[in-house]
Parts: sequence; C-alpha cells; structure tokens
Amino acid sequence: MTTFYRRLPKFNYLAPDTLDEALSLLSRYKGKAMVIAGGTDIIPRLKRREIGAPEHVIDLKGIPGLDNIKYDVSGLSLGTLVTIGAVETSAIIGEKFSVLAQAAQSMASPQVRNRGTIAGNICNAVPSADSAPPLLTLGAKLKLVSQKGERTVGIEDFFTGPGQTALADDEILQEIQIPHPPPNSQGIYLKLTPRRAMDLAIVGVAAVVIPQDGVCQDIRIALGAVAPTPIRVRKAEAVLKGQKFDDALIEKAAKTAAGQSRPIDDHRASADYRRDMVEVLVKRAIKQAIRR
Amino acid sequence: MAELSVIGQRVPRVDAWEKVTGQAKYAADYSLPDMLWCKLLRSPYPHARILNIDTSKAKKLPGVRGIVTGKDFGGWSWGWMPATRDETPLAVDKVRYMAEAVAGVAAVDEDTAEQAAGLIKVEYEELPGVFDPEEAMKDGAPKVHDYVKNNISVEYHWNFGDVDKAFAESHIVREDRFRTARATHGYLEPPAILAYYDPTGYITVWASKQSPYFHYRHLAACFKVPLSRVRVIQPFIGGGFGGTKNDSLAGDFCAVLLSKMTGRPVKYIESMEEELATSRRRHSVIVYSKMGVTKDGLLKAIQHRVVADGGGYTAIGPLSMYLNGFMTTLPYKLPHFKFDAYRVFTNNPIGAAMRGHGVTHTRFAAEIQMEMLAEELGIDPVEMRMRNAIDNPKPGEIYETINKVTLKTCGLKQAIKEAVEDPLWRDRDKLPKKEGAISWGTGISGSSYSGGARQMGHQACAAIIRLCEDGTVNLITGATDCGQGSDTVLCMIAAEELGIKLDDVAIKRVDTAYTPVDPGSYGSRVTILAGQATQKAAREVKKQLLETAAANWQVKPEDIEIRLGEVFVKSDPEKKMPFIRLARIACYSGTGAVIMGTGYSSYGIEHLDLTNGIGNGGCSYSFTAHTARVGVDMETGQITTTDFTIASDCGRLLSPVQAEGQIEGGAIQGLGQALYEDFIMDRGKTLNPTFLDYKMPHALDVPNIKLIDIVTDDPFGPFGAKETSEGSIVSAPPAVVSAIHDATGIWFKELPVTPEKVVKALKEKK
Repeated sequence: MTTFYRRLPKFNYLAPDTLDEALSLLSRYKGKAMVIAGGTDIIPRLKRREIGAPEHVIDLKGIPGLDNIKYDVSGLSLGTLVTIGAVETSAIIGEKFSVLAQAAQSMASPQVRNRGTIAGNICNAVPSADSAPPLLTLGAKLKLVSQKGERTVGIEDFFTGPGQTALADDEILQEIQIPHPPPNSQGIYLKLTPRRAMDLAIVGVAAVVIPQDGVCQDIRIALGAVAPTPIRVRKAEAVLKGQKFDDALIEKAAKTAAGQSRPIDDHRASADYRRDMVEVLVKRAIKQAIRR
Repeated sequence: MAELSVIGQRVPRVDAWEKVTGQAKYAADYSLPDMLWCKLLRSPYPHARILNIDTSKAKKLPGVRGIVTGKDFGGWSWGWMPATRDETPLAVDKVRYMAEAVAGVAAVDEDTAEQAAGLIKVEYEELPGVFDPEEAMKDGAPKVHDYVKNNISVEYHWNFGDVDKAFAESHIVREDRFRTARATHGYLEPPAILAYYDPTGYITVWASKQSPYFHYRHLAACFKVPLSRVRVIQPFIGGGFGGTKNDSLAGDFCAVLLSKMTGRPVKYIESMEEELATSRRRHSVIVYSKMGVTKDGLLKAIQHRVVADGGGYTAIGPLSMYLNGFMTTLPYKLPHFKFDAYRVFTNNPIGAAMRGHGVTHTRFAAEIQMEMLAEELGIDPVEMRMRNAIDNPKPGEIYETINKVTLKTCGLKQAIKEAVEDPLWRDRDKLPKKEGAISWGTGISGSSYSGGARQMGHQACAAIIRLCEDGTVNLITGATDCGQGSDTVLCMIAAEELGIKLDDVAIKRVDTAYTPVDPGSYGSRVTILAGQATQKAAREVKKQLLETAAANWQVKPEDIEIRLGEVFVKSDPEKKMPFIRLARIACYSGTGAVIMGTGYSSYGIEHLDLTNGIGNGGCSYSFTAHTARVGVDMETGQITTTDFTIASDCGRLLSPVQAEGQIEGGAIQGLGQALYEDFIMDRGKTLNPTFLDYKMPHALDVPNIKLIDIVTDDPFGPFGAKETSEGSIVSAPPAVVSAIHDATGIWFKELPVTPEKVVKALKEKK
C-alpha cells in the first residue's frame, strides 16, 4: 500500500542531560533506540518511512560540552555535536584542515549546516557523505563510547556498507580526532553536483598532497558516492607517491582512481558517468592542490 | 495613447503586505471547529485491477470517523470534454498509474488518518503496464482504457497548404526527432482543501484552485446538487502554472464526501512528495519534425507528428494537443503546415497543462531545426530569423497565418533587432571562447504565445465595481490571482479608468457565492479578459459620476476629467473638487441610486476549433527574441548559464515590476526544463519525487537577465496589453540549446540537456 506521510511516526523522545545518561539509556533500550544529533538526516527519513520507527529516540543535542572544537598538540578534535556550520566557519579548520572546511561549505543549505553535525554525517554513513572523503585523507580516528568503555576506530574501518558502520548498538561516536597534517600539505575537496549548491554529490573527491620541489612526498585520495562506502584509493596514491609530478602521471593516477571506484547506476547518475567523473575530479584535485 | 497615471507605474503588489508579513492565509491554514483530517491511500502498482478493498481494520481504529472508496461516488466521472469523462474521484475497478488514490479516510487527527490509511487492505491483480507512448500505440499493447483504440486518447490531423509539394520544391529538407522532459510546476504550496458539507445540503470549500469555477462545477456535478449550493471560497494561492490546481483532485472529492458522511468539516493537505509523484505534469512529447527551406533559407513547410505521453487519464489533454499545433505557424511566415498529433494513454501519471502549454515542445523542435538548416545553408541564425519573421501589421491591418491565426501586432522583428544589438550578442566574438575546460557559447531563439485564451464554453468573465461613499471602490471579479499578480493589475486598470489612486481600489478574492462566474487563471487570459471586464465596469461607474458632476457644475459630462483623485472641468481647471466629494454627492444626492458598474469581456468568444485547428486560440500574441550565453565544462558536461537577454513584445506592460518578474520567472522555469528538470521514471514509478532530486534551478543557477521591452499596443487588450511569461518559458530552452551548440558543436534534441548527456555526446563526437 502507498501512503504518503506528512507526520513523524510515534516514538518515545528522550533528551538526556549528560553523556553517561545517554549511554545508560542506550544500553537499556539496546536495539530499540536511535540516537540523533542534528536530526537532519533521520527526521525526513522517518517522515517518509524510509527507516522503521524506533521505540525510543535519544537526542544528544541538550548535552553540554559535546560541541567543542579542540585544537592542541595532539591535533584537532570535534565533539559529536559540532555542527557542519561550525566546521565551515572555524578559523583553525579553515587554515590547517582546509579540505574539511571545503567539504562543510559544500553541504546542504546554511539552515541545515547550522543544525546538522559532522558526526551525524559520518554515522549516517551514506556513500555520498561529504565529510567522509576529507576525514579519510586526514587519517581521522573515531572515539566510540559505551557504558562498557571506549575504543578508537580508524575512519577507514568505520564504514562497513551503505548506511552501515562499526558502531555497536550501545555505542555513541563521542569525538572525531584528526592528527596534525604535515606542515606543507595541501588539501582539496571537489564535489560534482548538477546545480551550484544544495545538492548531493554525484562524485566527491578529496586529495591531500605533500609536494616538495615538484616531487610528491605523500598523497592521500578518497572518494565519495562511487562505492558502497566512502573509500581511500591507495593504488592511485601509489602511482604518484615519491614521483615527480607530471601531467601524464597525474592522469594515470586519476585513471587508477576511476578503476578503483565501484559506482552504481541510479536516478542521479549512471555508473559510467560517475567513473568518468572520478578521473576528471581526481586529476583536477591533485593539480589544484599542487598549485596552492 | 492618452497620458496614463497608474498604468505603467512601478508599484508594489496590492497583496505584498499580507504576503511578506505572513498574514496571507492559504488553504492549509484554514480550520473549523470539530474538523476531521483526510488522508488518501494510493496504489502501489501502475496498472492493476482492484479485486477487493477491506476497510474493516481501519474502521476499528479509534478516532476514525469515515472511510470512502471509489464505489461511494456512485459511478460519477469527469473530464475536460463530454467525450473524455474517463476519470473518477477514486479508482473504482482498476488503477491506471502509480499512486492513484483508491481510498480516503477521515479521522480526528492527521496521525490517526495516516495510520488508518495504512490499515486498509486492497487486493490487486497486477496487470501488464505500458510506459512508453510509442509502445502504447502499437497493436497488442496493454490497454489502459477500453473506450479507445490503441490507447490513443486524443488525435488531430490538420493539413494546411500542400506540404508534399512544398518539400519537393525545397532546397533542403531535414527530418529530426525531438523530445521534451517530464516537467512539473514546482510551486511551493501543495494542493489543500477544507470542506464542509452542511446538514442543509450546502457545500462550502476553501481550496487551492487557480480556476475555482471549474471546481465549483465539478463539485455540483459529483454531488448532484444545484450550483447555487456549492460555494468555493478562494484563499491565497501559492502558485499554479496550470495542471494540478486547474483541476479537481481525489483529495477534494474525498474531503467533501467524508464531510457529507460525518457531518463535520474535513481538511486534506497533500504532501509535497505526493504532489510530485502524482501531479498533472507537463506532457513529455516526442516531436518528429520535418522542415523544408529554400536556398535563401525561407521556410517552405513544416510537418509535425507529435506523440505525447498522456498518462492514465485524458484530463485537459485535448487542449494540450491543440496548443502543440495551432501556434506552429508563429512567429515565422509559414506557407504549408501539416500536423498529426497523438496523445497516448500510458500507465504514467497524467500529462496536463503547464505554463507555455503545448508550445514548449513544438517551438523547441522548430527553432532548433531552423538553426540546423541555417547552419547547413551557411546563413547567420539572426539573418535566417529576420528573413522569415512575420512583419508587424500596419495599424488597422491584420496578418493571417495559413491556419487563420490573426495578428494585429507583431513585434518580433523589432525584438530580434534589439536583442542582437545588445552587447551579449553584438560582442559575443570579443568574449573568450575557451577558458580551461570551459567552452563558451551564445545562442538565440524566437517565440510567440497567445494571450486571452479562448474557451470551449463557459466564456463568461465579468467585473463589478461598487463606489463607496468614502471615495474608494470595491472591485469584485471571479478572476483568480494564483500568484501571478492579476489582483494588482486589475486594481490598476480600475484606478486608471476611474481617475483615482491605486490605494483607493480594494479587490476581493473569489467567493462563488458573491463573485461573478469566471473561467479562471490559465492561458494568460486574466489581464486581457478580466482586465477588459474591469475596464468596462469602471467606465460605467465613471459615466454615472461624470453625470453627477456635470449636473453639479452645469456643464456637459464630456467636459469633465478625473485624474488621480481630482475632478475638474477641462476648460476651467479652477472648477474642481476631490473625488471623495464627488462620491459623496453621488451617494447622498437623494436620487436613491447606488453607484455600481458591471462589465464583461467580449474579446475572443469565438468557438475553439480543436478538430481542424483553424482560427485563433487566444485574442493576441506575444513575441520574444531571446539570447543566452552558456559555459560548458567539456570534461564534466556541466553547463553554467551566465546571461539572458530577452526582448519581449507584450503589447504594453501595465505593471512593469510584475511583468518583468513574470518574464524572468518564465525564462528561469524554461532554463530548468532546458538543463535540469525531468521526472526519472522506472516502469511507472517516479524515482525522484522530491525537490532534492527533481532539480529546479536555484538562485545561484540563474543567469543575469536583461529585459528589453518592445511596445506594440495591441488593440485587443486593455491599454494595449498582451501576455507575459509564456513567451519566455517557450523561448528559453531553444536559446540555451542553441548556445550549447555554439559551445560544443553538438545539437541536443532531447531535454533536459544534463551533464551526463553532454559527456556522452562529446565522447561520441570524438
């Protein structure tokens, strides 16, 4: 049967005041609860009945202290409630982690960026999540907590499938930790969209390059929207690593990246077009990063 | 033209204050005590027989007050013409498109109604579907309706002159296949209704309808009550653009019937996703175009065979197909024309009307094909158009096309001339052609669209103006302002004619209990027809006032003038009084008269000839020349539109601020259909029923637009006005596609031209 819903399904709304309380609720309602931060992904999907209604929704928004952007000797850390807008406008992120700021700026509308969170974007785990390729290239680690304790997972091991993550039923992503990038590294995020703004990525490409005297000291390339999860493309990186930059080699790396992508056909684009665009965007991202 | 005081002024809209402060109330804002909420259950199949509907579980849900299914409407059906009444309020025996409504629920709140709809069990027998109109025409294709052969819902065969002979005599003949997208209106307000069927047998509805009197007649017919018992009260309307809000919908009929059953008011609001999945969208049309020209590029003949995806029902399809054809003889001189049109039933959502109705398809094909021929002949595209453009008839003369479309004015040549003198075109070779991966191009198109649409019947269109003793007037019409700004224009016309200030005219919204009957808002008819009615009503009021003033001053009525609220004797301007004083004298002078004026429109009441395509579809015709500059990323296929220059002959702009907004809006909507907008379908299912995935241009995608106003003062429009915005929605896609060709060397014949199509075509070209 087809009913087009306008209303949210019924659920029990819980607004804990502390992280401990949230973890305790999550443990108590294990498997029957859903955690939300900004809610910008979950609420529309619940309204459309794209996901089953949970018995309980645990809203983290009211917990103080989870929206800190911390920058110190160990690097950058983003609390689970740090909004996309906060990342977009943070001076330190703009200066030192520009690739992430570029991705934040490319996302949705100002209204959504002010509400939606980077952690939510990661936990929602859609293949086109814009914050994922930059975090992959920056080597981010995710601090996951539960009542039983905490663990740290590399972002590459976090995504397990479309909408699937390594997060256990009773865990919350508390913090995204990003190490200091090497001083001369340059990052670029390029996003292919049909319109100039407010669109989902057809292809997202993040490239972080460490150039020195025309040689590629190190490079990391990550792709969004072209595989079941956001992915690093190490074979493409290997083409350039330690080599002198030249157009032919960059082309080869871009082709390799396209070869490593595993896109699908859907109503937004065909797999062929997506694969072709990986090549174009990887090439452009590397060239722009070198030029910076 | 006499000096004008109000017409042509740059004034704010009369409804601006209410709208910007959020005070304007739309259908979804209305509520009544004890109101119930209606929700529809829709079919999960595009084509299926309904075997059984079990509502027992839903009925038992606490809070449910009523449930209706197709059978409860007693076999009533409706359609645009008596022969095409093929649609029922809810599907009865079978569903013909995905998400067609099969049942309606009324409950105490929206949550309960939604829950109950989900509890109704419908047993379907899925039938093979047909989704491509050309497949649907073939023998043996699944039948959508039994009352027609080969799924052909509408067909016309018109023949003017001798195309075969003309093609034989042509220097070059081209044949191409074009296709337009499945586009929709994209208004912000999805349809909504609040309905109350009171116990004494009167139906009152507040509904978002751009033509409330269609709805008024549908409700009277469906519920078998006299028209006098149906009252449609028109709230503010959040955009119309044809199609959905020009018709009645399942939710409307269900809300009224559920109100009748329960004795309580019932409200229904469509969700945006529901609207996008089921809206009466623009037809997607395949145009097989054959065009012949002389060595000098003069048009000899056009032969069009069009196949339109009609979807599950006929709706306004007979008019859509007529409009596909009758204006093909504009805006260029065309001696021979043949038109074979097929509107074909499929198991897709219904094809219907949208701004630029009908013409967007065939003009796109003809403009692009003409450019292709110009290229083959080595003739400049501007020169090609100037050689073929219809000349502006001299005052008093009439130009008649081969299918007897008559023009009193035609500003096309002037529009082309001024558009190409603009730097966008003039300096196009001075601008860079290539910058990195971006290839730049400039294109041009011409178009025409009719204003003051003629009807199949129900021509009546009137205005009433009542003088108040405070020197203001009330303007009452049946015309609907669905956002286009007609209320402001009609008030300006009344103020101009009466010689009073715009602020002193108050317009009331449509209420079928009080306002005169009117066809509604479509076919760019309101300014021209309701405008003429308003003009006449105002003149009648003025006549009475001049008589009063003449008696007061002992002069003749024709010696007196009224301007901007001042009444004076022309030969003796010292003899004067404010309008309010004259109004009081007229109201209090003891004659007992109430000063009122009525007027009705008289333009364009000839019958519309659908069968033969002979004659006019409207009263007058706008002409547009449109240039565009685009940048094409030759690697990603992305297209950026930086500039439009649009020279429009709209007769005369009565309210320039609004007319300019209309022309720009039409062009931007046209840009959407050129580059972005299309419903992606998979076997009847709309895969992108959200504004995330149905891509309309955003503010950042819109080019700089420069407008050039060509004034022709058409004698068949109030103060010389013709239509605005339907011309620019027609001209935008060919101008953009022509610019893309200039940038890439490729002619795109299918809309929208998406980045993916561009990349594919560039690969094939290599």
